[in-house]
Amino acid sequence: MFADWLFTGFSILSVLGAIGLVTFRHPMNGAMSLVITLISLAGLYALLSAKLIFAIQLIVYAGAIMSLILFIIMFLNVQTDDLPEEKDRFLYLIGGGVVLAPVFFFLKKIVQSLPASETTIVGNGFGGVKEVGLLLFKDWLLPFEIVSILLLVALIGAVVLAGKRRVSK
Amino acid sequence: MSLLDIILVAVRVAFAAFIPLCFIAVCVWMERRGAGFFQDRAGPNRANIFGFRAAGLVQNLADGAKLFFKEDVISDHIKHKFYFVLAPLIVFFAALVSFAVVPFADTLVLNGKSYIMQGIPIDIGILWFLALAGFGVYGIILAGWSSRNKYGLLGGVRSAAQVISYEIPMGLAIVSLLVVYGTVNLNEMAQFQGKLLFGFIPMWGIILQPLGFMIFLIAAFAETNRTPFDLAEGESEIVAGFHVEYSAMKFAIFFMGEYIAMFASSAIIVTLYFGGYQIPFLATDTLISYAKPIAFLLMLGLPAGMYFFAGWIRRNNVSHYPRENDPRVYEANIYIKCFWGLVIVLELFLFALLLCQSEGSAAHIFVVLLQVSTFLLKVTMMIFVYIWVRWTLPRFRYDQLQKLGWQVLLPLALLNIFITGAIVVALS
Repeated sequence: MFADWLFTGFSILSVLGAIGLVTFRHPMNGAMSLVITLISLAGLYALLSAKLIFAIQLIVYAGAIMSLILFIIMFLNVQTDDLPEEKDRFLYLIGGGVVLAPVFFFLKKIVQSLPASETTIVGNGFGGVKEVGLLLFKDWLLPFEIVSILLLVALIGAVVLAGKRRVSK
Repeated sequence: MSLLDIILVAVRVAFAAFIPLCFIAVCVWMERRGAGFFQDRAGPNRANIFGFRAAGLVQNLADGAKLFFKEDVISDHIKHKFYFVLAPLIVFFAALVSFAVVPFADTLVLNGKSYIMQGIPIDIGILWFLALAGFGVYGIILAGWSSRNKYGLLGGVRSAAQVISYEIPMGLAIVSLLVVYGTVNLNEMAQFQGKLLFGFIPMWGIILQPLGFMIFLIAAFAETNRTPFDLAEGESEIVAGFHVEYSAMKFAIFFMGEYIAMFASSAIIVTLYFGGYQIPFLATDTLISYAKPIAFLLMLGLPAGMYFFAGWIRRNNVSHYPRENDPRVYEANIYIKCFWGLVIVLELFLFALLLCQSEGSAAHIFVVLLQVSTFLLKVTMMIFVYIWVRWTLPRFRYDQLQKLGWQVLLPLALLNIFITGAIVVALS
């Protein structure tokens, strides 16, 4: 029962945060709404007994990435006068709503057609740090390593690209 | 849930919430007396209530009253007032909640049920601390940005860049620690450190991971924005940095947040590298089975220790020039009586324990209390190290700070992971 209330609360917060991200005019307000969305998503993961994902969501997304985004916004020191004027934004909003309406009804239909079933808590330390670690390094070792090499390539690429521009000056 | 469960939940949450708050007073007092000690002066020793100065602790009350009744100014040029008010609260609560996963005693077993002695009984341990340490940055960024002041902005930029870059060596130092302990759960780490290396050295993290400890300690100093890494508030260059626009209680909340962060990171350092709540050579099982002899030894030791403590108070709490009916001697006598009263109460408790049946609930609770005291003693010593460093070392230059983080600590932390990995693989 308590978990249901938590689920409702986190879902509402995450949707509100997402709406705030696209509707707020000032980038700082948008970024803070995104933080709310990311933290409530972490709460939803925790409700699904995915403890490791919960922690990683908080450390990586809510902690590191968002604080870098806030850092950039602070660094650029965006003022209200610097923002572009968006005169037709309500037109775009209505247009977007009209386009998305069929998708919404489709999703509603799918959700309603889901069979009602009782959910139970998954046991045996599902989603814990040790279990996910064992799975990653036993069954999924090769894909895991390939993904890390991909990230490393992206990292080095970013450094090289950023360095090149300085040389050409 | 039985009544016992509810009481234990309340006790644990209260401990995790109120002990850091109480330690703000202790930290501020230690900081000021420590500063006095290192600079060869007396420190605050005048504020008193009816002549009782409590070694300078009364000064905290005076400071608190001052901050509480000051005018709370929000200048007109501040546009985003919500973020301006939110920022100190984020710093404060992120620091407070990060302590919630630190175990302050070994798992308590009562009536066959075990209770994990943490504020939040969650087993992701150190990951939670890393997450909350990251959230503290938001407060600093928002404070610096919403102040709309170049000093505030510069302080915020400096502080955020520093915290973000020192999180990396800190995380890497933790990685090599995880290789050694094989768990992220702080309670399991503390239990691991209760074992003995070669049969006579306690297996504390600092012995297994000396290099990792140095890296973690330096990174923890930088994370808490303490000297020698307090460039965020470099008075000589940027006035007070990110909290330049804050006054009264809003400033006080930043201030308290900094001390709670110091307490929480001392608690984490103690748990990771100094055996947490473990008393050296006495693991929890040994303590429980020898509860009565230990209680008896304590009953003998307490009055002896108190005798010397009373002598110390009497020698130091006197006026430095001859006075008739020295009020400080009278003050010292009252303190000594209070402490003797405390000792008598403790003796009665220990005596009651001797009468109880052995290895019963009383022994378990006694062991928990012993471990809590050990933990708090270790944390206090670690806080003293923070204060010691602050009043001994000058501030870094900003480029030196970034160089230290990226060019020294990061490679060292990576090297430490490889060495640790090699040794662990060779030994297993």
